[in-house]
Amino acid sequence: MADVTVIGQGIFLRGSIKGDGDVEIRGRVEGDVEVGGEVTIGEGALVKADVTARRITVRGAVAGNLTGEDGVRLEEGARVVGDLRGAGIGIAEGALLRGNVQTGTGGEGQRTRARQQPAQARTPVRVEPRKAPAVVVAKATSPGRKAQPAEERAAPPLPVIPVLKKGARAALRKRSR
Amino acid sequence: MASTVISHGFTIEGELTADDDVVIEGTLRGKLVSKDTVKVETGAVVEADITASSLSVGGQVTGNVTATDRVDLMPGARLIGDVKASRLTIADGASFKGNVDMDV
Repeated sequence: MADVTVIGQGIFLRGSIKGDGDVEIRGRVEGDVEVGGEVTIGEGALVKADVTARRITVRGAVAGNLTGEDGVRLEEGARVVGDLRGAGIGIAEGALLRGNVQTGTGGEGQRTRARQQPAQARTPVRVEPRKAPAVVVAKATSPGRKAQPAEERAAPPLPVIPVLKKGARAALRKRSR
Repeated sequence: MASTVISHGFTIEGELTADDDVVIEGTLRGKLVSKDTVKVETGAVVEADITASSLSVGGQVTGNVTATDRVDLMPGARLIGDVKASRLTIADGASFKGNVDMDV
């Protein structure tokens, strides 16, 4: 137990945790957690941080990316918003997750980066088409509606001018005089 | 067992706020506020202002220390900073540099 760092229930830490041993978090942590050993995020814990460790077990709430070289386990009651990455990922029944999952990377940086990039590239692509058509439609309809009346307005004056006959202007001048 | 332990080999940088007791065996940089007891064990390094109900120091502390109850410097302790507490004990073999304010 000597090498286990415990962040207790009544704790609020704003900052980073770095070390080689195991960490058990039961309180609130905002910052980065980089640990060589095992990280356990207990029930009632609230972690707003990217967590990097050899193994991660979650029973509490996490907002951040979890990277476990050996594995990431979400137990019952876990609520995670973020990406999971690790050699083996287990999600138990009753755990909630919103984010990308990537298994079998084994913590190798090059592989994770290589696979990460297309994953990151895909997400914005997925988002853009949703937004883009809405904008395009709005643009397509709005100038169309404006353009049509503009043509209608422009059209009547054109025939009006030829209606004025050659002597009409001179007649108007004579009347004004 | 203490509710919060920062064990040997760990470094925490930032602000730590605790309702319960805290034991530091590793390294802490930043600020520590606890409503309960804080223990800085032998071999620990703390570069932070500490506020606690009572504080016992066996390691190395650099920063101002405020305790509502008491501050104890154990043998081998090293404290650089001001102490504000109603009670202060300095054991033989502890080194201390700073002002003491016991008027709380």
